[in-house]
Amino acid sequence: MSEAVADFVLFGSTPLARLLAGLLAAEHKRTVIFVGESQAAYRLPRGTDLSLAPISRPETWQMLRDGVGETTRLLSRIGGRGSWSRTDPILFADGEAGKEAIAHMRQMAISFGIAAERATPSLLGAGRTGTLFRDAVRLHRPVLEPRLDAWLEQVGVRRVSPQSVEIAADGGAMLDVGEDHPLAARQTILADDASILAHLAELPGLLHRQTMSSILTRPTHPIAAPVMVHVDAAMTLEQGKGGGVSAWGPGDLAEFSSRLHQLLGANRRVEQAGQTSYQSVSTGDGAPAFGRLGGSGADVIAGLGALGVYFAPSLARWLSGASRSEEELWFAARLVEREAASSTVAEFAPQHDAGSAQ
Amino acid sequence: MKPHANRLPPDTVRLFAGTQVDRTRPIWFRLDGRQYSAFWGDTVLSALIAARVDTLGTHNGSPLGLTLQSAPAIVAAGASAERVTALSMARTPALENLDLVTLGPRRAKGLGQLFFSGRSLGLALDAQGALDEPWRKQSARSQVSTDLIVVGGGVAGLAAALAGARSGLGVVLLEAQLHLGGHSGLFGRQDGEDAPEDSMARLAQDVRSHAAIQVVTGAHVFALRPGKVRAHVTDLSEVTTKGAVTDFTAPRIVLATGTFERLPVFGGNRLPGVVGALEAFELAFRYGIWPGQKALVATSSSPAYRLAVLARDAQVSIDRMLDSRPHPASRFIEFSKAYGIRQFPGTWLGHAETVSRGGGLAVHLGEDVPVATDRLVVSGGWQPDLTLWHLGGGPSAWSTERNRLEPFGQIEGVALAGGAAGYFTRLGCIQSGADAVDQLLGRPRRPIEDPLIDPLYESADGPSPISPATEGPPSYLDGGHSLLERPQDKPPTVLARFLRMPKNLDVLAQAPQPLTLGEVAAGVDLGLIPPPSAGIIAAERVALVPLATPGEASPAPAHADLPLVPAYLQGRFQEARVRRVLPIEARTLDTGALIFSTPDERNPLLAVGVVIRQQGPFALALVSASAPKAVIVRDSGREVPSRLEELPE
Repeated sequence: MSEAVADFVLFGSTPLARLLAGLLAAEHKRTVIFVGESQAAYRLPRGTDLSLAPISRPETWQMLRDGVGETTRLLSRIGGRGSWSRTDPILFADGEAGKEAIAHMRQMAISFGIAAERATPSLLGAGRTGTLFRDAVRLHRPVLEPRLDAWLEQVGVRRVSPQSVEIAADGGAMLDVGEDHPLAARQTILADDASILAHLAELPGLLHRQTMSSILTRPTHPIAAPVMVHVDAAMTLEQGKGGGVSAWGPGDLAEFSSRLHQLLGANRRVEQAGQTSYQSVSTGDGAPAFGRLGGSGADVIAGLGALGVYFAPSLARWLSGASRSEEELWFAARLVEREAASSTVAEFAPQHDAGSAQ
Repeated sequence: MKPHANRLPPDTVRLFAGTQVDRTRPIWFRLDGRQYSAFWGDTVLSALIAARVDTLGTHNGSPLGLTLQSAPAIVAAGASAERVTALSMARTPALENLDLVTLGPRRAKGLGQLFFSGRSLGLALDAQGALDEPWRKQSARSQVSTDLIVVGGGVAGLAAALAGARSGLGVVLLEAQLHLGGHSGLFGRQDGEDAPEDSMARLAQDVRSHAAIQVVTGAHVFALRPGKVRAHVTDLSEVTTKGAVTDFTAPRIVLATGTFERLPVFGGNRLPGVVGALEAFELAFRYGIWPGQKALVATSSSPAYRLAVLARDAQVSIDRMLDSRPHPASRFIEFSKAYGIRQFPGTWLGHAETVSRGGGLAVHLGEDVPVATDRLVVSGGWQPDLTLWHLGGGPSAWSTERNRLEPFGQIEGVALAGGAAGYFTRLGCIQSGADAVDQLLGRPRRPIEDPLIDPLYESADGPSPISPATEGPPSYLDGGHSLLERPQDKPPTVLARFLRMPKNLDVLAQAPQPLTLGEVAAGVDLGLIPPPSAGIIAAERVALVPLATPGEASPAPAHADLPLVPAYLQGRFQEARVRRVLPIEARTLDTGALIFSTPDERNPLLAVGVVIRQQGPFALALVSASAPKAVIVRDSGREVPSRLEELPE
């Protein structure tokens, strides 16, 4: 038997997972075990932490606005100013559905006091429209990750690499870490896609397994903005200082590579500097999903995409039973056990036949 | 310039006389307007090195050596704009009256070129992609189909080709060099084996004489997916020598790509005059070339001792050998002792620097006075060349025991053989060639003998040595075209300290260039990459050229196909329904504009509706049942008084 039982064991390698683990320990005085890799310095990116994504619901915008302020104050203290910066991303689309979704986003952003301008058509190419959003926050994962790791240690989060994990139906977990006794936790939190796929034998109906790909290109001509999101394809593009473009999105490698080359290389050949394919989780209605599986199992956090880290403070309050009333309502409407077909919280979700499987 | 200044005398011992060249057939060719002499059998690169051209150009203010791995692309003079016919300097035969130019940014143009040192190609290597291979961006101009493709013409590839042909398969053997045989020569022989050069020649002869095997030399495979490889081929069939990209398809592919020698990381590791032991051997063995009279050898692997002995036989002065391993044992070490070469086990060099424009290196060993030498021969151990294996989706893992990435798992229709599969001995490589064909044909597998000598008598390779970072010439993580330098651990500036900025954090994750296997391995040695992640990173960062046919983009749905109310608006308003919204003033309303009951209301959470889209002269809106007829639309921040109307029946 374990000598002491932790309140939470949290699985995940994203800034959201790290920040959430630290906040549960530091702000909410819970005992936390953290299981996650540190790989931002040398692995190809599979996501970004941008305070902007194709969302259209005002209650989510409000949660995001509050979360961005709280998170950046926190990260400035933990990670220093170099750990995040502001940028002007462009969301763009070729199809009518995507163009309409961006139009809704633009109006909503303006309503929340965010400057949003239509991107000059010549920047994007024929038949394409887009909107430039001012002053979005973007985290620098390679900088932030080691500092979050140091902070986790400082606030007493125990970090382990278990040889095996058993998650019980009541959400508790036993971790074999090669010691005399296994570690135990009352509640498991699966805080990123990789941990959900690794630890759930079967996904709940709302969640779908999806094949994703990530490609880094060799230096190429400047793209229209340092961060661009092609909402039709759910493809994110980031151009680094050296001119290389990192892109990730749904599809197997051949399909995604073809789409990226079409997007970047209409009149030029783009060379790849790195590529990988992996599995992720999407929700049936495009909105995020939270809460315990079956109402009493492990907690999952899915479908937040680039916004995830900015919801860490509210998630920590919710998981600790300390939510504000509007937060409580927002999370309650987005429980993982909801039905996608009758969803009243759906967000724009591009349909990709290839690579998605129920 | 003295012709053949770096060529060993013709009466040199047999092994370094130059098996590829015919010294009785001198030829002349031109490169970048200069005339060079060569022998029949030389490549353009070997002829240049024989003529004392040892420098590519400058990178970060430091000269960069011209080597087999880093040689630039060339093209026929007058066709420099036709990069589609570009050639590899290392894979192009030097032919009489060839007139070529080097591709790549030049340090100076016009008259300025006349003042270059004759030892340099004068490339400005700071430019992005200075050593790019143009053929990597080209589509194939022809396609060849067969039953079995064997990539690599070393002993394993030759054995695989023969096994395939003897099994009734049509075989295409693709070899990057202009000759068959591979690199077994450097490794000598074990008890009971014949000489490696005899073994290589016999297998090559058998392959060339087999009707079912088509041999394509000068064919560098740079892209692969199961069932297909893409190669850049030196095409000698027409009047003009030119390069061409060809696709080869087959249901079975054997990868016998061998091993490559790692470049140890130290300051000045790519200066002119620094050379790997294998490259030094190949230049001497194939072309009878050995620059300079004096050499220093530094190694973590035993075959370098054999090279030293052979070089001493060829009258090269080798005074001492450094070995990073504290207690190395090898039959080759015993031979080198017998030649009077001083041994320095457990010793490694600090850094190297050039001493004069005329050539020569100063090698700092931690002593007060650096050692002067014409040539520094280095060996950082051996890494299976898994580049194509990774391109095909094959996995690998770092072996802490053998300090290298090793393959595991399987790819449908692709099999590894020889050094690439991890075998060490010539016997093991030859047997594994036949085994790879058995594997692809679904036959029973036979055990492979790979008889390693007891480590008591033949030490394994040590870890590739890493010297302390110095202020001198740059140290690179690998040879070749990528020019990725060792991250500098410079102290942060005051501003960077204030902002708590990172140091060198984008070295690997965001460096916009592929990482070679040598760079990944160096990353492990430098502590930049955790060993358990090395295989994943090597596969992620391999230079992949997509071979898939680009798909057609599916047409975007037109307005008529869109649902009237998108899913992301469902549930947004109480008892919502679609109505017309008409601005009081004549104007259109943009999609997404929020509708409020009163002019004072601005909170988006209290909106009573939203404009869905313009439809003819009206806009359609989704509005709450409680919305009044007179409303305020906030369109891009502007207040637009409007009224709501029911949709006509």
